[in-house]
Amino acid sequence: MNQQRLKLIAALLFPIVVLATNAWMNQQQRDDGTAITLPIQGVDPRDLLSGHYLIFDVDYGIKAGYGCPVPDISATLCLDKETRVYPSDELPTSCSLFLRGACNSQGDFSAGLERFYIPEKHASLLEKHIQANQGKLVLSINSQGQALIRDLLINDQSWRESLDD
Amino acid sequence: MVNLHKKLDLWEEHELISAEQVDAILAFESQDKREPSNWWLYSLLTLGAAIIGLGIISLIAANWALIPNLVKLGSAFSLLIAAAASLVWLQSHPASPWFDAILAAFLIICLATIGLIAQIYHVQGQWYQALFLWAVITFPAATFARHLFVPFFWTTLFLHGAVWSSIDLTTVRDPSDVYRELPALLVLAPLLAAVFYHLGYRLKLLAKFQRSFFFWFQITGLIALIAIDMIRSGGESQQYEALWYLPSWIAAAGLAALILMRDDYRPLNKTLLISAIALLLLYYHPDILFSGMTRYTFSAIDSGTQASLLMADDLRAPFLTILILFLYALHAGNNGHHRTFNLMTFLIGLRFVVLYFQAMGGLAATGMGLIISGLLIIGMAWFWYRSRDTLQRWSKELTA
Repeated sequence: MNQQRLKLIAALLFPIVVLATNAWMNQQQRDDGTAITLPIQGVDPRDLLSGHYLIFDVDYGIKAGYGCPVPDISATLCLDKETRVYPSDELPTSCSLFLRGACNSQGDFSAGLERFYIPEKHASLLEKHIQANQGKLVLSINSQGQALIRDLLINDQSWRESLDD
Repeated sequence: MVNLHKKLDLWEEHELISAEQVDAILAFESQDKREPSNWWLYSLLTLGAAIIGLGIISLIAANWALIPNLVKLGSAFSLLIAAAASLVWLQSHPASPWFDAILAAFLIICLATIGLIAQIYHVQGQWYQALFLWAVITFPAATFARHLFVPFFWTTLFLHGAVWSSIDLTTVRDPSDVYRELPALLVLAPLLAAVFYHLGYRLKLLAKFQRSFFFWFQITGLIALIAIDMIRSGGESQQYEALWYLPSWIAAAGLAALILMRDDYRPLNKTLLISAIALLLLYYHPDILFSGMTRYTFSAIDSGTQASLLMADDLRAPFLTILILFLYALHAGNNGHHRTFNLMTFLIGLRFVVLYFQAMGGLAATGMGLIISGLLIIGMAWFWYRSRDTLQRWSKELTA
């Protein structure tokens, strides 16, 4: 096999391996992470549904005075004993369950979880449930504080089951 | 061939070439059996492959909830492996038109697979991050392209991903910031395209992508210049984060270094290009030259904040536009790039005409105003047509 052919094989295998690893890592995180459930609200009823996904705000349950210390910083939400936002480099070592994110220019914490892909034909029904504050997200958080959405609950049931009822 | 006959007859008639030379040229042209130009075949095959890729994406997008995750991922990876195996097999057929078509399909399926993984696992990234990831992982494969389409396709998506991701890295973004970030995106695009165009002279791997980077440099450069002219002339004031411009400054520094390292550029060319880059950065800087408040032209009389000639945003803006175009036109003329030189000088003339309409405002809509406007346009066109050759000769003599 000539050298040029080997280079082509390597060039073609590279994206396949990267993508397969990415899918495997996502699956691992979804299966192995710590599960937590948080309620969600529609961001704006006029723009809740955008294409094939729902857009929402996650209610992290942060009490007044425990939110972002300053806007526009990288931040971490400790979910351990008290739900509190810390600048990323000031997270107490005692906090074992935390979520990485940022404080935006309005001083609100966000872990960038704002989207859930849905089939188009169920979009309007799911949208109504989210607007009625019946939605919750099941997250899977790994030891580095990265979160992956595991499921969307409607009235505490997986969205697929809720559509069957 | 008909045109060739006509030209050869004319040249022979004027005794520029002999009858023997005419015969020799015709004999050479008639036996020209070099590789036939199959551009239409490549285009159709690539288009077909691209449409199949899009069809697969649409199928998955429409039915994804009904298909189990493992089947979806399995299908995507099977398609990738099948396309890769076909490419390896086709590599030993250098004349095959299918190689680039399947390579295009492979790249599109890679992008579709990124989308599929994002959909299955609800990955929360942005579209430009997906494009940037795609560009990084598919770059080695894209270097094997035999024709222009694949490098052009790769370059187009890479620039989108790289420009948006670079700005995203500088601050904690809010989706509502897109409008405010637009100037920083517009100035970064041509600088980044130019950096990779010049890198193509140093890195063999990038050589195939140079034409595409140059194409995007010219398009985005023109858009950047028109956009900032409109923003500054229109008196837009900006709320911005200085950090948004950091990628542009870094790209400009890299570009200046690459220009300085070009052995085929004379000191004059280097000076002209670096000055144009510096002026573009100055133009885009929100605070140094422009306040967004000071106006001079007719339309600003009502505002009561008319400023002096030197202080007015709406006069500094066209001056900077014309100066940047002039510096680039001089570089193009000096380097013998006739078409670019002609385009730049034409744009300078056009900007003068627009400036006239800006300055005259409502007066240009009167009968006399329209006559003067028409005369001005004809005069500018005549002046441009008569003087462009002289100007280009002069630009060449600058380094003689």
